[in-house]
Amino acid sequence: APELSAQQVNPTESAVQEEQLMRALQSGEAVSGRITIPDARAGDLIKPDNKGWADTHGGTVKTVNVAAIIGMLVLLIGFYMYRGRIRIDSGPSGRTIQRFNAVERFAHWLLAATFIILALTGLNLLIGRAIILPIVGESAFGTLSGWGKIAHNYLAWPFMAALVVVFIAWVLQNIPDKTDIEWIKKGGGLFTKGIHPPAKKFNAGQKVIFWSVIIGGAALSFTGVMLLFPEIAGTSAQWQFYQVIHAIVAGIMTAIIIAHIYIGSVGMEGAFDAMGSGQVDVNWAKEHHSLWVDEKLAREGRAAPSSGGGAPQPAE
Amino acid sequence: MLVKRKQGEAARGRLASMAAGIATKTIDRRSFLRNSGLAVGGLAALGTIKAGMTRQAEAGPTDHSRPIELRKNICTHCSVGCTVIGEVQDGVWVGQEPAWDSPINRGTHCAKGASVRELVHGDRRLKYPMKKVGGQWQRISWDQAIDEIGDKMLEIRERSGADAAYLLGSAKFSNEGAYLFRKFAAFWGTNNVDHQARICHSTTVAGVANTWGYGAMTNSYNDIRNSKTIIFMGSNAAEAHPVSMQHILTGKEEQRANVIVFDPRFTRTAAHATDFVRIRPGTDIPVIWGIMWHIFENGWEDQEFIAQRVWGMDQIREEVAKWTPDEVERVTGVPEAQLRRVAEKFAKERPSTFIWCMGGTQHTVGTANVRAYCNLLLATGNVGAMGTGANIFRGHCNVQGATDFGLDIGNLPCYYGLAEGAWRHWSRVWDVPYEYFVDRFDAVPAKGGRDPRSPEQNMNVPGIPSTRWFDATTIDAEEVDQRDNIKAMIVFGHGGNTVPRMADAREGMNALDLLVVADPHPTTFAALHERTDNTYLLPVCTQFECSGSRTASNRSVQWGEKIVDPIFESDNDYAVMYRLAEKLGFAEEMFKPYEMVQGKFSQEPTPESILREINRGGWSVGYTGQSPERLKAHMANQDKFDLVTLRAPADADEVGGDFYGLPWPCWGTAEFRHPGTHILYNPNVPVKDGGGAFRPRFGLERDGETLLAEGSFPPESEIEDGYPQFTMGVLKRLGWDEDLTVQERAVISRIGEFDEEKIDAVSWSLDLSGGIQRVAIEHGCVPYGNGKARAVAWNLPDPIPVHREPIYSPRPDLVADFPTREDGRQFRMPNIGHTIQQSVVDRGLHESFPIVLTSGRLVEYEGGGEETRSNPWLAELQQDMFVEINTRDAESRGIADGGWVWVNGPEGNRARVKALVTERVASGTAFMPFHFAGWFQGEDQRGNYPEGTDPIVLGESVNVVTTYGYDPVTGMHEGKVTLCQIEAA
Amino acid sequence: MARMKFLCDADRCIECQACVTACKNEHEVPWGINRRRVVTINDGLPGERSVSMACMHCDDAPCAAVCPVDCFYTTEDAVVLHSKDTCIGCGYCFYACPFGAPQYPRVGNFGTRGKMDKCTYCSGGPEADMSQAEYVKYGSNRLAEGKLPLCAEMCSTKALLAGDGDIIADIYRERVVTRGYGSGAWGWRSAYGETISV
Ligand SMILES: Nc1nc2c(c(=O)[nH]1)N[C@H]1C(S)=C(S)[C@@H](COP(=O)(O)OP(=O)(O)OC[C@H]3O[C@@H](n4cnc5c(=O)[nH]c(N)nc54)[C@H](O)[C@@H]3O)O[C@H]1N2
Ligand SMILES: Nc1nc2c(c(=O)[nH]1)N[C@H]1C(S)=C(S)[C@@H](COP(=O)(O)OP(=O)(O)OC[C@H]3O[C@@H](n4cnc5c(=O)[nH]c(N)nc54)[C@H](O)[C@@H]3O)O[C@H]1N2
Ligand code: HEM
Ligand code: HEM
Ligand code: SF4
Ligand code: SF4
Ligand code: SF4
Ligand code: SF4
Ligand code: SF4
Ligand SMILES: [Mo]
Repeated sequence: APELSAQQVNPTESAVQEEQLMRALQSGEAVSGRITIPDARAGDLIKPDNKGWADTHGGTVKTVNVAAIIGMLVLLIGFYMYRGRIRIDSGPSGRTIQRFNAVERFAHWLLAATFIILALTGLNLLIGRAIILPIVGESAFGTLSGWGKIAHNYLAWPFMAALVVVFIAWVLQNIPDKTDIEWIKKGGGLFTKGIHPPAKKFNAGQKVIFWSVIIGGAALSFTGVMLLFPEIAGTSAQWQFYQVIHAIVAGIMTAIIIAHIYIGSVGMEGAFDAMGSGQVDVNWAKEHHSLWVDEKLAREGRAAPSSGGGAPQPAE
Repeated sequence: MLVKRKQGEAARGRLASMAAGIATKTIDRRSFLRNSGLAVGGLAALGTIKAGMTRQAEAGPTDHSRPIELRKNICTHCSVGCTVIGEVQDGVWVGQEPAWDSPINRGTHCAKGASVRELVHGDRRLKYPMKKVGGQWQRISWDQAIDEIGDKMLEIRERSGADAAYLLGSAKFSNEGAYLFRKFAAFWGTNNVDHQARICHSTTVAGVANTWGYGAMTNSYNDIRNSKTIIFMGSNAAEAHPVSMQHILTGKEEQRANVIVFDPRFTRTAAHATDFVRIRPGTDIPVIWGIMWHIFENGWEDQEFIAQRVWGMDQIREEVAKWTPDEVERVTGVPEAQLRRVAEKFAKERPSTFIWCMGGTQHTVGTANVRAYCNLLLATGNVGAMGTGANIFRGHCNVQGATDFGLDIGNLPCYYGLAEGAWRHWSRVWDVPYEYFVDRFDAVPAKGGRDPRSPEQNMNVPGIPSTRWFDATTIDAEEVDQRDNIKAMIVFGHGGNTVPRMADAREGMNALDLLVVADPHPTTFAALHERTDNTYLLPVCTQFECSGSRTASNRSVQWGEKIVDPIFESDNDYAVMYRLAEKLGFAEEMFKPYEMVQGKFSQEPTPESILREINRGGWSVGYTGQSPERLKAHMANQDKFDLVTLRAPADADEVGGDFYGLPWPCWGTAEFRHPGTHILYNPNVPVKDGGGAFRPRFGLERDGETLLAEGSFPPESEIEDGYPQFTMGVLKRLGWDEDLTVQERAVISRIGEFDEEKIDAVSWSLDLSGGIQRVAIEHGCVPYGNGKARAVAWNLPDPIPVHREPIYSPRPDLVADFPTREDGRQFRMPNIGHTIQQSVVDRGLHESFPIVLTSGRLVEYEGGGEETRSNPWLAELQQDMFVEINTRDAESRGIADGGWVWVNGPEGNRARVKALVTERVASGTAFMPFHFAGWFQGEDQRGNYPEGTDPIVLGESVNVVTTYGYDPVTGMHEGKVTLCQIEAA
Repeated sequence: MARMKFLCDADRCIECQACVTACKNEHEVPWGINRRRVVTINDGLPGERSVSMACMHCDDAPCAAVCPVDCFYTTEDAVVLHSKDTCIGCGYCFYACPFGAPQYPRVGNFGTRGKMDKCTYCSGGPEADMSQAEYVKYGSNRLAEGKLPLCAEMCSTKALLAGDGDIIADIYRERVVTRGYGSGAWGWRSAYGETISV
């Protein structure tokens, strides 16, 4: 009997009052309770933090993305005006050597294509309503974004596959070493015509791209998968965390890749071929990857050809 | 940003000033066209639906040009009696609208009422008659079903007698249906007819009627708005009577009322109380005596009230003196200070009302509990006035009406007890010779040393309560005090999982020769047993698919209008009873007073004509003024009635001066225009305005003291003191017989068989002309007399309520002090509670089953739950059967919230359910809802239901683990206290 | 112009779930979608309170702010609605909503949530008022019919108030004065940036 009486309660004594509720809410914690439907999340009555996430999403996340991308574009335009297209100083030699084999190129382009679509469709989720919606109208934008979302969700998988291949193929050549210090000291020779610091297969700049892609891609993959499977992500607070990381990493990485695309295409004469045909002009190679050319030719038993020399063409 | 095209401009202006949640009657809720469409496809199409096929809800194209009709009916779930408004288009129930005008619910509902439309979508309803053949369900026609059932019944009657058929009726019937079913039993020739009141408020009815006259709620939900102190005793109204809480919470706010909840659990009602008192289950009497101890000790009782209107309070005082605060705490667990506070509030901050429900009634001491509650009210003078009263929250939507109409083993309609006079009264009303009934009843042979009975004697012996039908099926025939065991169960609208000891009930079902279920759903009666043949299911429609009246908890009678036609091949209760009576050979006699019309498949009586017959015979409770016309006028003029007084202004059209729903007693004929009685036994208003007094039913004096009121009488009464009931003789002595009309006199003489002595004996309740009532009331008197309430009911087993431990008590020490009553025989059956209690103690079961198990309600489900668990809108909200277990008990057993557990009962049965770990229950107590079925001791029985009729949610039934125990007065089961052990599964 | 709001008076809410089933009934909301739900805090303890919650139709609705396809719009009555045609089911609104209002037919792996559904304040969606198309996608449009949300209209204890924000605040204030204490205007600070002072 004493046990029972110890459990006497007076319900109104400490009934929930206005201030108590407000205090609970001000601390930003959720007000949660019991609910009969079998959906644990529905037990959260009020989660003021969700508004915080909404603000971050509309604020920081958007700003970082827009600033990173616009900033990068401005930089590149500036760079182009200052430096123009980087030419092969010694002019094309007419002779080429193999730089990337088919598998590597396939992986690269898979990675590239999926990334670009992911970036565009992702970006669309973030800023499409501000840019595209006013142009195409609500209905078209809805359809577009719907497909975009599907594309984003499904292309994430080939992107991740390509990322793995690229990593395996190139990781060894991307381990930083002494030559990178020299290369960085000379600014990669990008800013001064005629300066070509020696580099192995990948120069320090490329290594930066490589590691950005690998680390950023991995981060995007992990957070992205969490976003795809909210049940694995856990609470909504965790989902929200992954979402913010995903979007910010995406923005920074997009900016980096824009620079990469620039340099790999219009920014530098002869660069594209490395991923196009896989064959690069020997002079280009000597200028940008002198150590790699030396090593490669040595391995193949040929001396480094002098520029303009009439070494035999590789058999077709 | 999109700017939405607006069509509702006109409406928009009003919206600005609108706010839902307050009574906004000024707003014009224009009728409108609805967009939903549920294709029913016409009745013809339905007939051809194949087994397992259900209609698909389909949003069809909307035709805004066709009108929507609004039809008013009453929620079919609980006794609050909320008005439901159905919107009907093309015969399809397309929507529900708030019934703003109802003074009872003012537009609102609880989860069940807000989803009743789905009952009539009926995806999981029984769609056509079926029978079991070799263990398989087969579809059959109505004709075949009635034919085969009738043949079987006649065969059983031949072999085992009329009493071998058990007629289990329903508190879901309309008044007309309930009355008809009772009449059906009389024509069949048995008193084995019962309904849910047995397992619900039978002890209330017995206890209250034995105290002051009638077995009903004295006031109303609305009237509680006037109370300053409100006690809930074993009532969880927030879940069981949610809309009542609207009145109570508003009252609590406006009166700053004390709301005190006594319950073993911290319920949702407790969460809104000003005081919560946790009691040990089964200790209500000591708790009440404990309160009264403080009242008497401090002289807080209402001495004037007691002197004028109560008999025997001194004897109560003596019993109460034994319950000192220490003793109360030892037995109930409630500390002194808390009870003293409650006692002071209840006695001093008046008016006070005392509300009770199943926590008080479902016990072996149920009747005694109720009597103790009444005594508390009497001691404090809290009956018969605004804001006071025994506010007994009743159960099913029409349990009050079904009780009133004697759907009961011990009564004829309107509480005419089983006696020759009553039979003769109803024979007159039914226009059948008394001898007809004598012929229909069995003679009972001498068995087990008991005397034999002639049919005429047997007619007046109460039948077997619904709590024991299965014992009467399986027990040795020698032990059953009737010709033979129960051989046939005819179940109209009653669950099979709602009586304790389901494992035994299952054996009973297996043993029957015939089992018939007439219900919108198959119910557990169809799914629990291992029967292979002689089992029939008849699809009966709900009350939304037929019309009739129903009586809410507060005695208001409300007319429900058919919303849509019966779906599929279902038909209404009236028609099914008619066809069965026809087959059994007594339809002609039984149905001759009624207007017969062509129904869906057969002839059927109109509910209006049945009600008219009730009006002709229901004098004893005042069911005579509620004509169909008046009831319909009330439904049409709901807006005229005051929210608190329930009365319409004198000048209101059609209903002027009436109380809403003409709550009984509504004396005299309809033409007499008695307004009904909002508050029973109220001597503060004239009888013609609903006033009254306690009913002297037990003689005029006792122990040399008068049983008539002293110095208390209603205003305008020409007799300024107590008086006995009115008879022709009394009228003559008063010289008031002059006021009778010639026609009235003629009727009275005929009833008195033109014999002077017999004529003088014709009373207010036998006078079919209503003249005696009319004259008494015109002289300001109550027809039934003006007596005292009885604090001591000398005719009951415990005239003064005494505490008795439950059969399965956790406290052997207290069993020694407060044992249950000796074994005995009641209602044709042995009651061996004492033997069992002793064996529980001897076997030390409180150690192996240390947790007290109680049971009760969830707001989402009703009763056995087959209807509500088939309603997806409700089923979604409670998807698993569970047991509430205290945090500490769970911890010590390694049980996690939401995990599976076994609840083991002391009689060897068990249930596999989910654990709900909570502080609602104290350590040492567990609670289970009783609405689940379809699993039996761990086995899923979904396959036992006919295809497509299985409820969405299934679960274990608590009544698999509940145990033996019966109230000696009514046969009420012990549903609220047993023992159990819980272990992780 | 009326500014529609909800207010659940926790001192009155008894977790009867009428608001929940009324909503299901009115709009034929499918199993698994809970436009409204009732949460009980401090279950079984002194101070137990239940609160019925649906979309609060916020000022500066966070759901609208994050929606990538901008499918939300606010009506003249300040009701926050959305277009299911445009919605891509990304789930952002659910994560932005302080009240857990947005619901999805499939709970979401692999971006397969389906079109978001939430409380419409019983006022349909962008389709023509009271049209069949509107009913199928968003349920009925009671506001256009001159009625208010059914959940509040049917609330057993009149705990749930719906209507013009000023009027319901007045009703609540009156109750607080009558009974002597408040129960918290649940969600008002998050939704409307204010609370009701008495
Ligand atoms: N939602 C819903 N509403 C219903 C019904 C339904 O099935 N579902 N059924 C209707 C019917 S038929 C009825 S009869 C009413 C019943 O309505 P209630 O009686 O209010 O409902 P219960 O939950 O059975 O029991 C009430 C309380 O009694 C407590 N109790 C248990 N043991 C004891 C005891 O020994 N002493 C005391 N004082 N209290 C105890 C329980 O903890 C419980 O909280 O509800 C009606 N309304
Ligand atoms: N352990 C435990 N057991 C209990 C209780 C408890 O608290 N604890 N409570 C008890 C109480 S108070 C009660 S009242 C009972 C309730 O128990 P039951 O009354 O057995 O419960 P229901 O399942 O609601 O049964 C009503 C049946 O009527 C059917 N029906 C509905 N409308 C109609 C109609 O118009 N005509 C016909 N013919 N049938 C219709 C429904 O489909 C349903 O099958 O349970 C009792 N059992
Ligand atoms: C259409 C645009 C692109 C073009 C034209 C392009 C071009 C190139 C070229 C020419 C190279 C070879 C450089 C060399 O010879 O070393 C290269 C390398 C590479 N690209 Fe791209 N690329 C594009 C898009 C991308 C994208 C979207 C990604 C990744 C997300 C990517 C990741 C890489 C990586 C990791 C390397 C190896 C490291 C390096 O050389 O920097 N590229 N790309
Ligand atoms: C690697 C696998 C990736 C996965 C699994 C993934 C998954 C997701 C998911 C689930 C979303 C949420 C929206 C939606 O459901 O559609 C999302 C958003 C987004 N993703 Fe990815 N993503 C991946 C890679 C990328 C990449 C490579 C980028 C490009 C840079 C990117 C940029 C974005 C952006 C900008 C958003 C929108 C964020 C916002 O609106 O705040 N994602 N991603
Ligand atoms: S179940 Fe009772 S309280 Fe609920 S709506 Fe029906 S009648 Fe009203
Ligand atoms: S409650 Fe949630 S969904 Fe509704 S308006 Fe506010 S943020 Fe949007
Ligand atoms: S789920 Fe739909 S409504 Fe919600 S944010 Fe995404 S697109 Fe917008
Ligand atoms: S306002 Fe309408 S849609 Fe919203 S929860 Fe209430 S009933 Fe449902
Ligand atoms: S209907 Fe009212 S009382 Fe019931 S749960 Fe909803 S808000 Fe609470
Ligand atoms: Mo009941």
